[in-house]
Amino acid sequence: MNGVPELLILRLLQQGEMYGYEIVQAIRSRSDAVIVLGEGVVYPVLHGLEQDGALKSRRKTVSGRSRIYYSLTPAGSRRLANLKEAWINLTGAIQMLMIGGQRGESLQ
Amino acid sequence: MANPFNELRERLLRGGIAPRHVRRYLAELADHLTDLRAEEERAGRSRAGAESAALIRLGGVDDLARAMIEQRQLQSWSARAPWAVFGVAPLLLLAAVWSVALFLLWTGWQVFLAGYDTPFVRVPATGPHPLFELANLYFQLDRLLYFGAPIIVGWTIGIVAARQRLKALWPAIGLVVIGLVSGMSQVHAGRSAVPHGIGHISMSFTFALSAHGGPFGLLQMLVLPITALPYLIWRVQKNRFPSA
Repeated sequence: MNGVPELLILRLLQQGEMYGYEIVQAIRSRSDAVIVLGEGVVYPVLHGLEQDGALKSRRKTVSGRSRIYYSLTPAGSRRLANLKEAWINLTGAIQMLMIGGQRGESLQ
Repeated sequence: MANPFNELRERLLRGGIAPRHVRRYLAELADHLTDLRAEEERAGRSRAGAESAALIRLGGVDDLARAMIEQRQLQSWSARAPWAVFGVAPLLLLAAVWSVALFLLWTGWQVFLAGYDTPFVRVPATGPHPLFELANLYFQLDRLLYFGAPIIVGWTIGIVAARQRLKALWPAIGLVVIGLVSGMSQVHAGRSAVPHGIGHISMSFTFALSAHGGPFGLLQMLVLPITALPYLIWRVQKNRFPSA
């Protein structure tokens, strides 16, 4: 699961700015609770991505609560594209291996 | 209620995370905890039940600290390059402030003591005072800058080390270096060393006491203990009361 939180966060933020709690809830609901991130550990990933220039943040007050909203930068979009490509290649390769293995077993 | 993040704060600072990242992380976790508590209460839990469920969902101190410490780019410069922060930077800062102080000394010498061979004029016991009030103030402020610089730099080392819960080694090295350099420093001035008598100011470093003696010689001896004292007091307090 290394790199997965980063990929999911970048993908979500591609659609618009969000704050930490919103991101965790969105990942949970959009993956039908298959992917459940440790709620607090999302922030180190966000801070790291921001430090790398992939995200930017701003403080915004909504309904009397001051929150830090994160959004994607152009560098973040490029990073997302690279990660997505690497992830698709990896999952494709794993899928091929799994299906190939099943065929091999069934042939024997 | 006790702050649930006190232990996490200490762990992160000791892990080398920059204080600004620690502050923001804890603020975001506190906000997140509030949201989780509200969500649990909406789901029908009691206040106490919602609180403990929210804390479990947020994650344990070990996980929260590890996730942050693994992000190497969030470490402070003091953790990444302590030799630069406590060894090189204080010396450069001291050199910069001393350069300003010496430039001011030279300027004051040209303006207020044009006829004198040195700006270190002794006040005569009788007769007219060679320094007017404004000039006297000018030179005393310059002295304050010169003698105060190492103390302020040393205290800054202590504050940085205390804020980031650093081990004593590098701050101690920095304090000793600053204390020794400032305790050994001597300023010399003379008009005859350069042509046209525009005046020449130089520095040397020796274990001998200040050539100008008096209270400045004493200050020179005390600069190391004065510089290191606040940090030493903090260390002693921290060892006696670790949770303070």
